[in-house]
This record gives sequence, C-alpha cells and structure tokens, in this order.
Amino acid sequence: MRTIENLKSSKSKLLAIIASLALGATALLVPQAASAATVLKVATSAAVTTWDPFQSFSTEAFYMTNIYEPLLWKNADGDTPEYSPGIASSWSSSADGKTWTFKIRSGATFHDGTVVDAAAVKASLEQSKANGGAGFIWDPVKTFAAPSADTLVMNLSYAAPMDLIASSTYGAWIVSPKALAAVLKDAKYFESGVDGGTGPYAIQSYKAGSEVVLATYAKYWGAKPAYGIVDTLITSDGITAQQMMTSGQVDWATNIPLTSIPTLKKNSKYLVKVYKSPFNYVGYFNTLRAPLNNPAVRKALSMAIPYADIVSIGGQGFGTQARGPVPAGIYPYSSTTPQYKKALATAKTLLARAGVKDLHIKITYASENSAEARFVPLIQSSFASIGVTADVQAILFNQQWSAAKKDPANAQDLFIVKYWPTYSDAGVDNLYSLFHSSAKPFFNLSYWKNTQYDSLIDDAIVLSGSDKAGAQKLYSQAMQILYDQAPGVYLYDEAQVSVVPKKLSIPKYNINYPFSAFFAGIKAN
Amino acid sequence: MDTKAMKIKVAKLSWLVANPYAIVASSILTIFLACAAFSSWLAPYPKEGAGAPNVAHTLIGPSRLHLLGTDELGRDLLSRIIFGARPALLTSLTVVGTAALVGTLLGLIAGFRGGLIDAAVMRLSELFLSFPPLLLSLVAVSLLGPGLRNALIALIVSWWPWYARLIRNESRSIKSQPFVEIAQAMGVSSWKIMTRHLLRNITSSLIVQIAADLGTVILAAGSLAFIGLGAQPPSSDWGLMVAQGRTVIFDQWWISTFAGLAIFIVVLAFNLLGDELRDYLDPRKRAK
Amino acid sequence: MIRLLWKRLTSASLVLLAASFFTFILARIVPSDPALAYVGPKSTAADEVRIRTMLGLDQPIPVQYFKYLKDVISGNWGYSLSTKQPVLHEIANRLPPTIELIAVAVGFAIIFGLIFGMLAARFPHSVGAALIRVLSIAGISVPAFWLGLLLQLLFVGRLGWFPATGEFDLDIKFTNPIHHITGFPLFDAAITGNWVAVTSGLQHIVLPALTLAAYSFGLIARMSRANLLEVFSQDYIKVARAYGVSERVVLFKLALKNAIPPVITVTGLSTAYLITGTFFVEQVYNWPGIGGFAANALISVDYPAIMGITLLGAAGYLTINFIVDLILTKIDPRIEA
Repeated sequence: MRTIENLKSSKSKLLAIIASLALGATALLVPQAASAATVLKVATSAAVTTWDPFQSFSTEAFYMTNIYEPLLWKNADGDTPEYSPGIASSWSSSADGKTWTFKIRSGATFHDGTVVDAAAVKASLEQSKANGGAGFIWDPVKTFAAPSADTLVMNLSYAAPMDLIASSTYGAWIVSPKALAAVLKDAKYFESGVDGGTGPYAIQSYKAGSEVVLATYAKYWGAKPAYGIVDTLITSDGITAQQMMTSGQVDWATNIPLTSIPTLKKNSKYLVKVYKSPFNYVGYFNTLRAPLNNPAVRKALSMAIPYADIVSIGGQGFGTQARGPVPAGIYPYSSTTPQYKKALATAKTLLARAGVKDLHIKITYASENSAEARFVPLIQSSFASIGVTADVQAILFNQQWSAAKKDPANAQDLFIVKYWPTYSDAGVDNLYSLFHSSAKPFFNLSYWKNTQYDSLIDDAIVLSGSDKAGAQKLYSQAMQILYDQAPGVYLYDEAQVSVVPKKLSIPKYNINYPFSAFFAGIKAN
Repeated sequence: MDTKAMKIKVAKLSWLVANPYAIVASSILTIFLACAAFSSWLAPYPKEGAGAPNVAHTLIGPSRLHLLGTDELGRDLLSRIIFGARPALLTSLTVVGTAALVGTLLGLIAGFRGGLIDAAVMRLSELFLSFPPLLLSLVAVSLLGPGLRNALIALIVSWWPWYARLIRNESRSIKSQPFVEIAQAMGVSSWKIMTRHLLRNITSSLIVQIAADLGTVILAAGSLAFIGLGAQPPSSDWGLMVAQGRTVIFDQWWISTFAGLAIFIVVLAFNLLGDELRDYLDPRKRAK
Repeated sequence: MIRLLWKRLTSASLVLLAASFFTFILARIVPSDPALAYVGPKSTAADEVRIRTMLGLDQPIPVQYFKYLKDVISGNWGYSLSTKQPVLHEIANRLPPTIELIAVAVGFAIIFGLIFGMLAARFPHSVGAALIRVLSIAGISVPAFWLGLLLQLLFVGRLGWFPATGEFDLDIKFTNPIHHITGFPLFDAAITGNWVAVTSGLQHIVLPALTLAAYSFGLIARMSRANLLEVFSQDYIKVARAYGVSERVVLFKLALKNAIPPVITVTGLSTAYLITGTFFVEQVYNWPGIGGFAANALISVDYPAIMGITLLGAAGYLTINFIVDLILTKIDPRIEA
C-alpha cells in the first residue's frame, strides 16, 4: 500500500511533504478506516523461494493455491467426491486410462484479463512439462490437444492417474499466456511478485522475505471470499508467530511450535486440530559400507530405535510410528506393512551374531529441522546402549544432500530425512525416489539395489494408471521387502497440528496441499 | 628483573585482597574453572550433563530435584550448564591463545625488523581490522560450514590482528629505547633481544588484552552458536542452549534464561578482572 | 579535508577489493553446492545443470571473479538465492529500517552513557558510581541475543507493554499508510505527521533499540567516566574550582569539552559493533532490516547475499570511521588525520 512516488525535483518533494502533512493531519481526524475489518492478518513461516508457478517446489505453495488454480482440486483426506472442479468443469478417461478429456469451464479469466480457454490451458501445460521444476509430473503425457475452445485432451504414452496428477500442488497450475511469453523472455519475470493466475486472490504487494499481501481478484469466476485482503507476515520463527497471534498482532498463525501446543490447548480462545500429513521421517543406512551392507546389522539397528520416544519428543506426541516410507493417508499406504519394535536385547544379540563389535557410525540430519534436532539425540543414546557409538552431525539439508550424493563410499552411515511426495502418490514418489536403484544417487541415499524391488515398483507404477487395487498389491509386496531388507529405518509419520482461533472458521487441512491455507474459505465467526 | 617479577607477584596478592571487584570476579572465574575441570563430579546428573536424554522428565520447571529445571530432552539444566563450562573455556583458550601467539610473533617481527616486513604485516592486519568486528568470522563460518572447528578458525582469523598491532606498536616504542640499542651495539643476536627484552616489557599489555579477550571470545562463540553457526547439537554449548530454549521461552523460560546467564556472568567476570588489571598495570595509575 | 577524503577513498577501495576477493574465494570452497541451494531440495538433475549455467558456475574461477568484480562495480550484485531478488535491491529496501534502529540505539547509548558516566565521575566514591561501573561493564558483557529474549519474555510475554515484533502494527499499512518520501519509514511517518504510525513505530522500536544499545552504552559510560575523572584531576579544573566557578560551568563548559573527543571515537567504534549486533537483534525481534536478512543469508549459505553484506558491512564501517574523523577535526582543528 506504500505509495511509491517518483519525486524528481526538490520542489515536487516539498509539495509532496506539504501534501502528506495535510494527509497525515486528516488521518488524525478521521476515525480508523472500517475497511480494516476485511483484512485477514496471518503469520506464517512459508518463505517464497520463487514466484514462478512452474519452478515452484517449496513452501510458496502456501500462497500459490490462492493465486492459481489447477484443472482439478483433490479434496481433503476422506472427503467425497475425491476431486472438485478447478479450471476443468468436468473430466473423463478412456477405459485403458491412456486418453483423458477435460472440459474447460467458461467465464474464468486470468488476472491480466485474458480469457481461459483450452488453447491457453494447453500452452500452460506444455510449458510446465518442458520447463523443469515439477514439470516431470507430466511425463506420462505424449501430447496435449485442444480440439475445441472448451476441450482439452491428453494422450498418454502409458496409463497414468491424470486426475491425481492434474491436481498436484506442484507443476499443475494454469498460467496466463502473457505470463508464459514473458517468463520465456526473462527467467526472473515472476520474482518481483508478479502472478499469472486465475485464482480468487492476486498478489497485491510483496516484500521479499518479509510480507505478502494478497487482494481478491474482482472478476474471479467463483464465490467471493469473505476477506478482501490477506496480509501475510513471513516469520520463520514459530515462537514469534505464536506471540503475535496471542497478543492480537495477527489473526492467525500457521506455524505454532509443537512445544507450545499444550499451553494453547488450555487457552479457551483456540481450538487445536490434528490431521494426517504427507510428511514422513526416514533414515537411510549406507548399504554400500560394511557392516551396514549386512541386512542383519541393519535389522539390529532398526530394533535399537526408540520409536515411541521419537514420536513423543520429536513430534511432541503428534505423529505415529511409520509403516515404511509411505505416510499414513497417502496412497499406497498399507496398515498391514510390518513395523520394527524397539527391542534392545534382540538387537544386541543380532549384532553379536553378525560379529559386529565397537561399531562407529556417523548420523547426519538437516540442521534447519527442529524435530530432527530433538529426536536424533534419542537415537544416539539408544544406539549407545547396544554398544554402537554414533557421531551426530547437523548440517544444512543442501550440504547434507550434496555430500551424500557426491561420494557414497565415504558418506554418512545414517541419513535422516523428512520426505513428502510431490503429489499425493507415494508409490511413484516415495517408494520409487527413496529406494528404487538408480545409476547415480539422487534421492536413494541408501544406495541400495534390489532387482526384485525395482521390478515390483516399475510394474506397480504402470498398473496404477488403470488398476489402483492391483498396483496396491505390488506395492505391498515391495514394502515387505523394505521391511525385510531394512535399507532404511522408517521413523514416524508427522501429524499436522493446526491451532485455529475460535473467532475464525478455517477450512480443514488438505493433505494434498500440505503447505497451503485456503484463504477464500476463511470467515469470521 | 627476577626480583621485579617477585615484587609484582606479592603486589598482586595484596591488590587482590584489597579489591572487592577483583575478589568477586576471581571467585566467579574459580567456580567457572572448577566446573570446566570437574564437570562430572560437580554436576548433579553427570550423564544428562554429557547429553543423555531422560524422556520421562522433559521440560520440568526449577524445583528441588532440578534446581534450574530440565530441557526438551529431559536433561537437568544445571548439569548441562556445568558441562558447558569446559567447551566455553577451551574455545576461549584456543582462540585467544592461538591469536595471541600468532599476533605476538608477527607483531614482534614487524616491530623489530621494520621496513618491508613491518609494512606488509601492518597492512594485512589493518585490512582485517577494517571490517566490523565479528563480520569476517560470521561470513567465514557460514561459507566453510557451521560447526565448532570452523568457528574456532574463523575467530582466530579475526582476532590475531589486534595482537599483531598491539605488540608491534609496543615493541616499536621499546625498541627506540637506549637499552635495546646498547644491546644491539654489543652484538647480542636479534632473537635474544626480542625474547629477552621486548617480550618481557610488553607482558603487561598482553595480559590485560588477554584477560579481556577471554570473555569477549566466549561472547562471540556464543553468538555464533546462537544463530546456528557455532557449536552444533548435541554440544552443551551455552549459546546453543539459549537458541534451543528460545522455541519454548514463553512457557519454559528457564532454559534460555539460565544458559544466557551463565555466559553473561562469566564474561562479566573476565571483563571486570580485565578492567581491574588494566588499572593496576597501567604505569600512569600505578605511579599515583 | 580533501586530502583526508582522498586518503580514505583509496584505502576504502582497497578494503572493498579485499572484501570482494575474500568472500569470493570462500564462496568457491563452500561445501554445499550453490546451484542446489538455488533450486531447492526437490529438484531434478536437469534443473541443476540449467541453474549452474545460469549462475555461471561452469566457468573457470578467475573468469568468474573478474565477471563478479565487473558486475559489482556496475551495480549488479547478483540475486539472493533464497528470495530470488537482486541483492542490491534487497539491501536498498532493508537498509532504512536498520539505520533507524541503529540511530535510535546510538541515541539511547549516548544519552544514558553520558549521563551515567558524568554522574560516576562527579561523585567518584559513591555507591552509585560503583553501580554505574558494574552496569557499564555489564553492558559490554551481556549477550545481545539473550538480552533481547529476556526483554521480550518480560515486557511482551509477561507484562504485554510492547508489541512482540516487527517495525509497525500491521494495520498501519491499511489505516494510516506511510507515504514514501525519504524511504526511512519512521522518519517519513514523522515528517508527514502520521502520528498513529509514529506512535506504533516508537512502541515497536524501544525494545530492539535498548537491546542493541547495551554494548555502546557500556563503552560510552566507561569512557566518559574515565575521561572526566582525568580532566577533573587536571590543574585548570582545580584552579577553576578554587576560584569558585560553579560546578555546572566546570562540568559542562570546561570538563566536558575536553573529555568529549575520546567519547566520540568510542561512539564511532561501538556504532561499528552495532552493524553485526543487528544480525542478532533483528533476528530476535523480526525487524525487517538488513541484519535479519544477513543472519538468514549466513545460515542458509545464500552466498550472493553474503558477499553483498560483507561489502556493505565494510563500507558501513569505513563510513562511520570517516564521519568520526570529520567530527573530531571539526571539534578540534589540531587533529589532522
């Protein structure tokens, strides 16, 4: 809202000062503007790593879901129907799952005024597919076609669940043709806080790293949001955000530290709501190095993990022990996948039987993750009680990841990571990315190679496009192998804890858009 | 010279007794040294002090069992703070010791040799001194990778120029005094002159500087750890403890408060002592 | 004057050159891959290659350095890896709130430091003087980040007297927007008579400024006490007192005038300390300035931002020293640099 005047001469500067003095004086006389009532003030940790809707792969999804729309939205866990219309008003697929047809809604416009039609959607999807970032989600698509102004057809090279893919939180936003052209010319086109979306809100102002102000888009095709302006303050620090909410500086804080939840639960002004989240903590063993190349040793260490304590300290009680690397609430999670239990005596025996004595290992974790900082010492001390000495190293995720990829033979022995799927399919993502073998390590940082596992996953991915239940069976077999061979330890599925002020009604958390808040659905009570 | 040293020692004792600030400061520092030397004997819960979690006792407020309360992992805070004395002391000794050694050597050489070497050393240390204090250290640790080892290196790198400049200026002024010239004329080797005469004469300025710096380095290392660039968990570093307690400061105030208090008191003691020593060793004041 | 300026400018450019070289070399031996930092954790191998080319990381090191130097001189300081904004633009946006914070902090430090220093020198054997002495040493011993947290805990958490963080209440932007004139928000609000914003801004600035001021306060109080004591012991003061010149005249006209130059030097020195002090204080108070930005850049190894901040820090330090010298030569023409 700060008016940026370009003051050229000192004369005009003087005039401006006089004018603003006058303005200031009148401001004193006028009672505080009533328009403030429609401003929603939010504190969030969601940093904007990029405003480019195709490059977006991080926490800026918090804003993106309010500014952009995909073809379809996937509804929150357990809601029916599974999908809601977005830019597409209806959709269907052929029996073999290889041709998908989307009807484009009429009346939708981009924030720059351009009408949304099939050609615009086609151009957007094609650019997303070609543009890196999360564009790989469109890999199954051979061609996009726009046979008429309101029909978009995707022809696939193999069957894939395009409804799921088209509702992804990354790489699936429909972007204005003007913005598409602009970003091709200047890769940083979006970064000053420009958008090319169709959603209920548009970016009004952006102060990098500190503040994003969203204002409603007047010609939005859908219902008008209750709040005309959403002012979000980026506060990486949870305790600060909490303080701002309890002192009334903001209406809502989305990043309350888990350690504060017990206190806020006692506060009658707030409701604490707990949901499943797509976040899952996994540790990779370095399977290239002795004695961790021995599955029995990995099993023994898996039994020396204090799972319950990790949930109660790391997750402050908000979470459940993981069943493999697929988070509860995300396909293909299976409640029958076996889990290791903490059994120190058995672990000790297994180690002794494998002939392992005085084992020294190096554990790395991401220093920016506070939950890991809380629970990794628990692992360290539990390992110590079975005679395994662990050196713990907290480093930035990027550094941890580079080191792990660069030189596996000399890398860490146990790599702790928080992982989540790009879109709500942990078969294509978690199971494949984390444990499928690859020529060069990328996210399979246990460096594990199991041909049986690889082929099960490869088959399941293709099958899931036409037969989800059939694919689930293959995935379950693969997860059994992950349990038996223990290339990693599966720590816990993190719960999403939202603290909702009672003066607001806020749509429930949607696991498919894990970083997002849907401002259009927020109302004052 | 030796009788002079003896006299100073005796004078030191009597000065200490007569000076309440010095008594308070040195008592604090004695406790600090004792904590650093005998952590496991002094700490009520030595295992927790060394880092073992106690999941059943998380975030308990100050009480009879836990005088300063417990942290997020249920560890007794008093034990953690006692265990934090050793890393604080070692950090401080390493940084000040190395910086003083390097700086003194370079300063002596520069001051004694003069000429090109002098110019080179002085330009280099001036260059280091023309950055805001701590900035170079912060940048170096960030880029080299956070951690205690890199923090030590970075602090040494930005601390030695102070010593180099101090020693160089002092030795220049001493060098111009007649007794050095006489020694030189008598054919005493440069090295002997440097060690025998110069070093002895500049000891008092060196002591004052070191006393003050021991505290300042603890403060600097704590600051690095606080923003995540110094010692890393599970270290019992005080600055790190302040940072860890920050996420719970409004409900569990004791963690950050007491850990920071430990830094504050120890640094205060070093600075008080340094101040007193300065007054005491300052020739102008001693004359009075 | 011109000679001083010239001398300073040449040594300044040398320092800045060294700063650029230092950060550049360090940035090349970073253990984490800058390209990875740019693309973020969930990216593809193809993204990395693309970014590497875009950032020029595929070029030989000397080529990269000279390109960097050329860019720095031409005003292109690169793009922050975390906010994707031009570094110079980020600095320009965030410098004004930081300068305001430092100015208020230095103001607090000078006022309290001088008053306490004068009191301690005037009544050197009182209990108050002893207290002031301990207080001033406490000022230079207290960790700023801890003091900030304590003040927050007490005045925000327990007493609720001050707002938790930020520079203004968020509402100000909508109800009483500050008109952009000089770019310094609190100053602009004051000169445009936007008293609602000024009130809010003052409430927000008190705690961070006090936190930041502690160190300078300690130095200034200590230095002014020591200098006044020395001046008081000199003959002309004794003579003046013997002649019955009033204490007020002795203190303000005779003593202070001679005690002040070293105090100015120490104020300059401590202001330079505040440059890095803001890194910690702004982080604790979520102040939208350059210090918090710097702290984040350091933690996330945002190396273009770090390089920019190093240059800025060195330039700021040089400027402060220059200003101090200017003031000193103005006050006492005998001083020639």
